[in-house]
Amino acid sequence: MPETVVFTDPSGEGPPIELEQFEVPSDLPDHAHRVGKIPEKDPHYVDLGMLYRFAAMEDVRRRFPEGYQPLHIAVRGHMGTGKDHDIEQFAAMLRLPYYRIPLTGEVRDVTLIGSTLLHGDGKGGTESRWEDGEITRALRGPSLVNLSELNAAGAETLFALHGLLDRYAALDLPTGETVHLRNDVRLFGTMNPTDLRDYAGTQTLNKAFADRWVIWEKDFPVVEQIKTMVERRYPSMAEPFSDAISRLAAEVNASFTAPDVATRVETPMSLRTVLDRVPTGLRVYGKAADPLRRAWEEFVLPQIDTFDRDHYETVWSAVVRKGPKGPVFGK
Amino acid sequence: MRAHSTLHEILPPEERAIEHVVARYQRVAPAVTRVARNLAGDEELLVRLGSSASARHREIVLDPGVFQAAYMRRAPVTPGEVALASALHEVVHLVSTDLEEQRPIPSSWFQGREAPESDAPVDLLTALAEAGGAAAVSMFFALEDGRQELTGMASYPGARSVLTDMYQSSIRSAMEAAKPLGQLAISGFALVGEHVERETLEKAAQPRVAVALADATPFFEAVKEAEDAWEVATLALQILEVAKLHGLASEAPSNESAPEKKNREELDSQALEDGVDQVRLLSPIVHNLDGYERTRQIEQRAGADGEKGPSDVADDAATDQLLRVSQAPTVFLPTGQGGRLMVSGFPERFRRFGAAGRETLIEAASAWGVAQRHVSGELFPLFAANQRRGLRSGYDAGDISPHAPLFLGAGLYQRMYERRALRSRRSYAVSLLIDGSASMLQPRPLSLGSRTAPWGLAAATLGAWTLARLCDELQIDFEVALFNRSFSARPDDSEWSFSRRKSQATGGLRRSQGQAADRLTNTINHYLVKPFNSRWRTSEDLLAGLFYSAAHPTRAAAEARKAPQESPPVGMFEKAANVDEFNLSYAAERLSRLGATVRVLVVLADGMTRGSLESLARSVDSVEHSGTTVLGIGIGDDTVQMAYGRHQVVERPDALAAAMVDGVRGALRRSLALSGLDEWWTRAATRERMTTWKEQAGA
Repeated sequence: MPETVVFTDPSGEGPPIELEQFEVPSDLPDHAHRVGKIPEKDPHYVDLGMLYRFAAMEDVRRRFPEGYQPLHIAVRGHMGTGKDHDIEQFAAMLRLPYYRIPLTGEVRDVTLIGSTLLHGDGKGGTESRWEDGEITRALRGPSLVNLSELNAAGAETLFALHGLLDRYAALDLPTGETVHLRNDVRLFGTMNPTDLRDYAGTQTLNKAFADRWVIWEKDFPVVEQIKTMVERRYPSMAEPFSDAISRLAAEVNASFTAPDVATRVETPMSLRTVLDRVPTGLRVYGKAADPLRRAWEEFVLPQIDTFDRDHYETVWSAVVRKGPKGPVFGK
Repeated sequence: MRAHSTLHEILPPEERAIEHVVARYQRVAPAVTRVARNLAGDEELLVRLGSSASARHREIVLDPGVFQAAYMRRAPVTPGEVALASALHEVVHLVSTDLEEQRPIPSSWFQGREAPESDAPVDLLTALAEAGGAAAVSMFFALEDGRQELTGMASYPGARSVLTDMYQSSIRSAMEAAKPLGQLAISGFALVGEHVERETLEKAAQPRVAVALADATPFFEAVKEAEDAWEVATLALQILEVAKLHGLASEAPSNESAPEKKNREELDSQALEDGVDQVRLLSPIVHNLDGYERTRQIEQRAGADGEKGPSDVADDAATDQLLRVSQAPTVFLPTGQGGRLMVSGFPERFRRFGAAGRETLIEAASAWGVAQRHVSGELFPLFAANQRRGLRSGYDAGDISPHAPLFLGAGLYQRMYERRALRSRRSYAVSLLIDGSASMLQPRPLSLGSRTAPWGLAAATLGAWTLARLCDELQIDFEVALFNRSFSARPDDSEWSFSRRKSQATGGLRRSQGQAADRLTNTINHYLVKPFNSRWRTSEDLLAGLFYSAAHPTRAAAEARKAPQESPPVGMFEKAANVDEFNLSYAAERLSRLGATVRVLVVLADGMTRGSLESLARSVDSVEHSGTTVLGIGIGDDTVQMAYGRHQVVERPDALAAAMVDGVRGALRRSLALSGLDEWWTRAATRERMTTWKEQAGA
């Protein structure tokens, strides 16, 4: 009997969703490899609602109601909002092998689907042999495939995936083989918004390709959410520090998402900055007179564009000005 | 030893000038606008600077004069912190203050007295004045000021801590100087805003005020929790009762007449305001009744449809000028002195005189013997060769890279085309800087004892024209700039818009900035007539138009009078003393940024700099040491001999144009000789140069 996992709605509105976890069949030739691809649960992960939404979608799929056709979810959000982390944690909860396939301008359909390669035959000659591409390999067993940076790949590359994503639900290989979308495979995608921001290499998503996804937006977390994340990850951090970090991030990111170009910054404070870089800076400069200021100067400001510096510093002055007194950790 | 320096100590007086205050505000303006939008809950809200603070529909106007006062504090804060805190402070008050809601006067406001019979709704300040007089209104504003800061800036504790530091630095002296009622008002403001502990205030207060403070504290605490201004007004009246109980405010005698009552209440109100004004940052809208009404009138003056009255337009022109000055680049001289330089494009409407200018140019070139053709004959092949040697690689921007096959093979299609690292492929650059003061348009003798004509600027423009053609033919980067000191024209100015803007800005700035208005309107200007990065073809008409205005100033002025809205701003050439050294340093910096190997800067002026001759000489020296050849030409004035290592004084128009062209040609030829090209014409050039150009030893 498969084990179950319960997803709770962080907003408290929806009922808990209980789902059975997947199992990797032991007769698969790459069983050990797949089991090794099941991600670990992140004990510090905070679901801001995205995981619950994934679970709700999964719940519908499993009930396979009348007229239902499997849908695939793409999460769109700015850098550092935790899109890929959400999808990875969903795979961890469902015990699905996780395949993260980054799409770039250099990725071609042969990379994703596969190609015929020449191999030595051991007798001085060569023989041609089909070799699965990254997606094909993932589709041959239970998996959660995350096509990250969907809008970075060229449209001609993505056309090859149309059949897989729509009602046909299969990939036709040049070898004549058809790889069907298994019931234990889930397809996800992530992408940055396509606007005038500096996401080099991104482009407007082909309409036909975009139509094959359910696209959900992921916004930057608000102060309370950031604070919860910081406190979950660093339970011993003194509250004035977690409070100041959360406020700084929320304020900068509000400026980043402002529609008016005259009042916005071009670099957000990503969750990587908030949860990884700044706390490390606080450990490095824990003995400094103003540890948060030093961490800000050494771990935040170097990340940003020069023309955003005044705005970042203004936010610093408005929200913190003088950092809290240490010790940073050990409350 | 003190742990902190105070703002007053670290900020020199000139840095407190209004244009510096505005410049610092500009750095924080985007963040301030965003905060204002957050506070107002309106993503469309505009925040701009103006001569009078106001909050209109979807627009907040901040008066930079209000920020300026904040820089006078002796507090441990930095100029950047003050810029932010003072602007946020003003935004919070403008967004939060609306006392127009009308209600019947609460009967509880008349305890022990007869309440008015009418229960018609009135606005809060009318009600408060009726119930408690002027002192109650003043107490209300002190408390409301503190409450708005506490709640409005709750999300910005950093900015609020700047205010706290500023207030704390003033409290002791303010308490010493204040009357008892003023001390209570200071305490109320500081406690409501949570800037100071009560114990600190009690120590600084007179004994009876300290006692009253204990009684009034619950009311101050209640102000912090108040939901609206009417609730604060109720508490203000109660605090005033506490003050009366302790003898801090005057009690009404039983037989007091109406004028006596008014006088007594106003004295109390004055004592109260005098005290708290020593501590708080003044924001007109929450300062007092007058300030509030004045701000509201400004808001209403805009009219329901947002149409501006004449005064608003004048204020806009003044603020616009203030912003232009504050955004102008600061130029630093080798002496350490710095000043702002208004840099802009030359008014485009001078093109209107382009056709007439071209005809006049041909006539003048012929009359003054300035050849306009074949000036570059023997130089061209050599320059072209040098240009090629200056290339870093064999392909230019947009050309197919020699590595294209490799890139194609690797699928890197976008890298087939290569961009060069150098912005310019020129090895030579010439900058011409012309004095554009009105004296250059004055008639002067054409030759010894002959008739007079306004040839100064005309001959300089003809020289510029000739040089421009030479440089264009030789593919040398070339720039012509004009400098003067007057009200700065905009590139899109006409005679009408220029003179209108000038009078409005001058009037508006005199009203708001007093004596500083002269400094803000009579600026050091640097006009780029033909910038390095524009093609000569696009600037020809502009320079020809300038030539026409210079050769025939009376005719140009007459045409401008006839059609002021179409004509160029010929009134921009004012008789005012120039500051040559700032213009020279700025032009030299632009020249050096080009990265050309050989750089020549020609400065042409007809009088002494109003700055300092020593500063000018050191600036010239400094530019020369950086590898740029500086040629100074004086028109009927020998000041250039004292400031420029290479100089020439000319007395006739033909000599001026010839000096410019020959000077540059000589410098270019000498650069070729220095690079080892010993040709017959470079030796001839040296002889030629020695006969016409004077050089000081070691220059």
